[in-house]
Amino acid sequence: MLEDTFLIQNKLGLHARAATVLAQLATQFDAEVTLYQGDKSAAADSVLALLLLESSQGKEVRVVCEGPDAQYALDAIGGLIENKFNESE
Amino acid sequence: MKLSELVNKDCSKAAVLFNSKKRILEYISELAHSQIPNTSQHAILDALMAREKLGSTGIGKGIAIPHGRLEGLDKILAMVLVSEQGIQFEAIDKQPVDIFVAFIVPEGDNQQHLKTLAAIADTLKDKSFCKMLRQAKSDDELYAVIQGELDE
Repeated sequence: MLEDTFLIQNKLGLHARAATVLAQLATQFDAEVTLYQGDKSAAADSVLALLLLESSQGKEVRVVCEGPDAQYALDAIGGLIENKFNESE
Repeated sequence: MKLSELVNKDCSKAAVLFNSKKRILEYISELAHSQIPNTSQHAILDALMAREKLGSTGIGKGIAIPHGRLEGLDKILAMVLVSEQGIQFEAIDKQPVDIFVAFIVPEGDNQQHLKTLAAIADTLKDKSFCKMLRQAKSDDELYAVIQGELDE
């Protein structure tokens, strides 16, 4: 199991589009990916679950990956969050 | 906040019959315009289409959340539509969509927008609730389901 913590930097936070991009990315890996924020957790491949985290700009989320390609999944998802979900602000 | 607090009776439409993404978005903008007459139907449709262009709001499991941001709105307008047949919506799981929770939100307020999304997600994650939405035969019945007035 691998994990790391990332800061939500984009202005809109984990809104619908960002959650969809993240979920699409998560489904590309065999590893099971879970996001944690405070006392809430979400399966990364579920847009509905991700929206329930209500992660806004400035929040820290812990990404936990479990499975054969966990390192790749962690790098990719962490990269997406740090890259502001490919958003400009 | 709950979905039931966001949707009024006129914005609950059961068993609608449309066969394309464009047509249902047109209908949603028509419905929204009837609720907020000061905003043109064209502007609403543009906002919805612009959002879909950035990526489909089809979030999987037959559910889509078409939405747009508009200036000059004083509060959120939410609508629930259930289509008799699934519509190809370029959803994340590529499955057709039959539950549409559409909303038009005021420009700005990102924190509030995340709260709205969470409220909608909280309602839609309940599979039996989605089943009841799909089974509603009339607008009144759909509204009752949304308000939690119908038991399984």
